[in-house]
Amino acid sequence: MSAQVHVHDLWKAYGSVQAACGVTFDVAPGEIFGLLGPNGAGKTTTVECMLGLRQPDRGVVQIGGIDARQDPRDMQQHIGATLQTNALQEKITPREALRLFGSFYRVAEEAGVLLQRFALEDQADAAFHTLSGGQRRRLALALAFVNRPAVVLLDEPTTGLDPSSRRDLHRRILDMKAEGRTVLLTTHYMEEAETLCDRVAIMNRGRLVAQGAPRDLMGSLGTAPSVHLETSAPLPPETFAGIEGVRDPEQTGCTVRFRSEDVHGALSELTKRLETAGVGIVELHVRRATLEEVLIELTQEEDDAPGGSHGGPLA
Amino acid sequence: MTYAFLIELRLYYRNRMALIYGYLFPLIFLVAFLVLYRHEPVPLVNHMGELLTVTALGGACFGLPTSMVGERERGVWRRYRATPVSTLHLVLTTVAARYLVLLSAALLQLVPAMVIGMPFPDHVAGLWVAFTFVSFAFLGLGLVIAMLADTVPAVQALGQSIFLPMLIIGGVAVRIESLPEWAQHLSAFFPGRYAVEAIQVTVNGSGLGEAGFSLLALLLIGAAGCLASAKMFRWDTRERGGTPRGKVWAGAALAAWVLVGVLAEGTGRALPQGRLPADGVASLTDVLRSSGAETNDSSDVYGAQADSVTVAEDVADSVGVGAEPEDSAPEASVPPIAAETADAVSEEVVEAPPPPPPIDYPDSWEEVTMEDIDRDIRFDALPYDQGLEAPVAALDEPVYPDIEETIRCIVYDLEVWPPAWTGDPVQRARNVLFVAAVPDMYQMSGIERWVPHAVFEHLANAHPEDELIKVLYWIAANPYEGEVSAASRLTDMCLRLGGPDDTVMLQQRTGWYAAKLLGRITGHIEVR
Repeated sequence: MSAQVHVHDLWKAYGSVQAACGVTFDVAPGEIFGLLGPNGAGKTTTVECMLGLRQPDRGVVQIGGIDARQDPRDMQQHIGATLQTNALQEKITPREALRLFGSFYRVAEEAGVLLQRFALEDQADAAFHTLSGGQRRRLALALAFVNRPAVVLLDEPTTGLDPSSRRDLHRRILDMKAEGRTVLLTTHYMEEAETLCDRVAIMNRGRLVAQGAPRDLMGSLGTAPSVHLETSAPLPPETFAGIEGVRDPEQTGCTVRFRSEDVHGALSELTKRLETAGVGIVELHVRRATLEEVLIELTQEEDDAPGGSHGGPLA
Repeated sequence: MTYAFLIELRLYYRNRMALIYGYLFPLIFLVAFLVLYRHEPVPLVNHMGELLTVTALGGACFGLPTSMVGERERGVWRRYRATPVSTLHLVLTTVAARYLVLLSAALLQLVPAMVIGMPFPDHVAGLWVAFTFVSFAFLGLGLVIAMLADTVPAVQALGQSIFLPMLIIGGVAVRIESLPEWAQHLSAFFPGRYAVEAIQVTVNGSGLGEAGFSLLALLLIGAAGCLASAKMFRWDTRERGGTPRGKVWAGAALAAWVLVGVLAEGTGRALPQGRLPADGVASLTDVLRSSGAETNDSSDVYGAQADSVTVAEDVADSVGVGAEPEDSAPEASVPPIAAETADAVSEEVVEAPPPPPPIDYPDSWEEVTMEDIDRDIRFDALPYDQGLEAPVAALDEPVYPDIEETIRCIVYDLEVWPPAWTGDPVQRARNVLFVAAVPDMYQMSGIERWVPHAVFEHLANAHPEDELIKVLYWIAANPYEGEVSAASRLTDMCLRLGGPDDTVMLQQRTGWYAAKLLGRITGHIEVR
């Protein structure tokens, strides 16, 4: 399957700050692809270069086979977007905004259809400044669909929304996928990426440090499951000495956390030692690494070795 | 294109503040001018240039950039940027919509002004063309402001720093003729005065033919503004306007102002060229007309070096230069300063006039005849009684009790004021006329228009009519003769005024009042 979105070796600097360093990824048609990373990682820069809002210093961006740098206007015909700020003129109404934006494209969706689809019929003729945050976000999303785009770019679509609005938006994004559209989104919320994205890429300091399916990333070697243990009495630190497969134990009073690639082996050895010491287990959790932990681990690793070219475990 | 244009207009009309700035303020200006001219609607026609320029300037300096910068600050433009719409398209629709708004605001001034009695503009199509050029120049300026300013408050600051100087020393709100000479030169570098000139000649002048340079200046300034703003264009507030490249282009827009100013200086247009302010504040045009240089009402005097326009001509043209075209340079009875001016102007414009027939000017006030008066005093060129200079209240005008009391007090004081009773009859009359001239100079708006009545009454009682006519002619024809120390003795009277600083102005006003009283006695001036 040929890529719907093709970004290759994208570079962009603002003065002396490298915001994107050789970013490369492909998104297949009908895929939901997430760009993750801390603030300042270069997600928005990448999205802006793809939208034609910024000129990359070098690299290739192709949307549906159209070169974004050579034919930006043509490319923009096929791409819909929501930006981080979704403000419009105070006095414009959703219906007018949809018709206005529609007038910018060769192909435009009927305003009424979009109002209905994004549940804005009741606010269709209300001034923008009277809309709630959720309504504004839905309008921004409706605007991204005004040209029936093949590719939709959503820059932090759910930031600042309450949980129910967020869930509503997630449903709509999954609908987009069901319609066969390609979605690229950036987000801070890892559970959002876990729920929505077929694949994610993690960015840090302008670089892609990892990409793959969320499940694969979470199961990757750098991020072993974590074990949380609470005991009836404090354990002496040497309790853990020499147990095969226990990594980075952290102990505070009766609570212990550690990671382990071999949870089964580590726990059986540990229970033996607890029995010997006469200490009981009060609570025990074993948890697979979350995407958030993967992200933190990968981006901190990067921070610990600044300037090092880090490809990431699955890059 | 059409829908973006429609939305632009709709959003404009939904913005209450924009409506106040765009429509209500111009109306307030109109009313202000009306009040300034004491509810006389006719002089409005002489200020349409200023009024419409202020409208266009306000809409373009504040209205346009405020909405553009506001939208850019909110991120609307960034959002537009992600669509295939072109910059040119967006800017053109915005500017086109603004132009329509300006046109409608101009109509909203013209129509009420005509309803209350302002004459219909002489050249309607020309007026539209002139206003279009004015809008183009100022909208170009507005675009530059929009590109330079990062925030709406910055638009206000930048706009004010262009708007106010243009109003005050740029020939928009303060008539160029009233400015000091340095400011007259400076105003040649501001687009405002060209806007006023271009519009005014189409309202009550000879039409656009007279405004070639002004139109060229507006075109240059507008084109430079459009070019610079296109080069400085930014979608996003984060792309700062203060980049070195941006500043260079803003400088290019300003360079057009300088170029226009230099062209104006180079062609001798910087100082006012005697657009006739028809409310009676006489000017160079009158001198030329009466001295036979031009007989056409709409004379184009742009060739004339106008640096001799001082208060002196204002007297010279109402007095002494003669009603017949041949009387180009009377020798005896014209004050030297006025004669020189008339000569200087004549030399440049008049092509060898035929030698005038000898005129027998009176050698002293006793020899004055009605013939001299008919020949030498141009009563029709005097300032209007209802104007700002040398005003006289109409007889049927209601007077406030406190003013009436002061006037009675002046009549009484004149009876005992020593300068009213010393010296020869001419000097005595001059002294008494100072009593009217000084409050006029101080612009004592409540009372200045009533004092002349007290003065006239006193003079009519103190002189036999025959003597008064001769004396008044002499003063009107020779305002700069005589002694002025009495003007400093008004502290003795109930006016309690100090003496004036400007002797020339004092004498000029005195001359006007002498002519006004003379005209009332001889019937040359019809008293309402």
